[in-house]
Amino acid sequence: MFLGKVIGEIWATQKVKDLEGKRLLVIEALDDRRDPSAPKITPVIAADPIGAGVGERVIVAFGKAARVALGGDGDYAYEAAVVGIVDDANIPDAPASWGFGDSDSQGGA
Amino acid sequence: MLLGTVVGQVWSTQKDATLVGIRMLIVQPFVNSENGEQKSAETLVVADPIGAGIGERVIVVFGRAARHVIGQGHDIAIQTAIAAIVDGMEFEGGRSFGPSADTDPSH
Repeated sequence: MFLGKVIGEIWATQKVKDLEGKRLLVIEALDDRRDPSAPKITPVIAADPIGAGVGERVIVAFGKAARVALGGDGDYAYEAAVVGIVDDANIPDAPASWGFGDSDSQGGA
Repeated sequence: MLLGTVVGQVWSTQKDATLVGIRMLIVQPFVNSENGEQKSAETLVVADPIGAGIGERVIVVFGRAARHVIGQGHDIAIQTAIAAIVDGMEFEGGRSFGPSADTDPSH
């Protein structure tokens, strides 16, 4: 599982049956790069059963965990899913771009 | 799953018997940047059960999901497959993308 930020949403008409009715989000993992001009990482596509919006921070799971979150394990055409929308996190050294709380007040609490 | 652009096709004659009849494409993963698309330096070989063409943006699935979409059981030498051809994408900041790089609205 990893922590990511939803950066976009995808529409596709030609797709395998299992993906019909699945909301597909583009999610970039939160990493420690602090320079906004640093090269970006390859985003992950995840099915979203929860209803996360673009810009939100989410928890993404892979494999069986993802299939279970989407309704049950078995033969399906997906292996990544949004399993949680993050309300807040206390990560004292996180870059400000992760958008969690106010590092000053959280650190002192 | 990941997003990428089809950049080519591969043919192979001497191969594992379970790969016979499976169309193989080369996909270059998509990387987001402020100005639009920035392509990843790496590429992937993916099986294509759908019929995607060069230049099209596609969704690639891995492992069990990839073997499942090929529809020939799980004992096949496949790890990655195309599960969808992208019509469009809407990104943060109102940026949108079309089905291929040439159809992207200008940013």
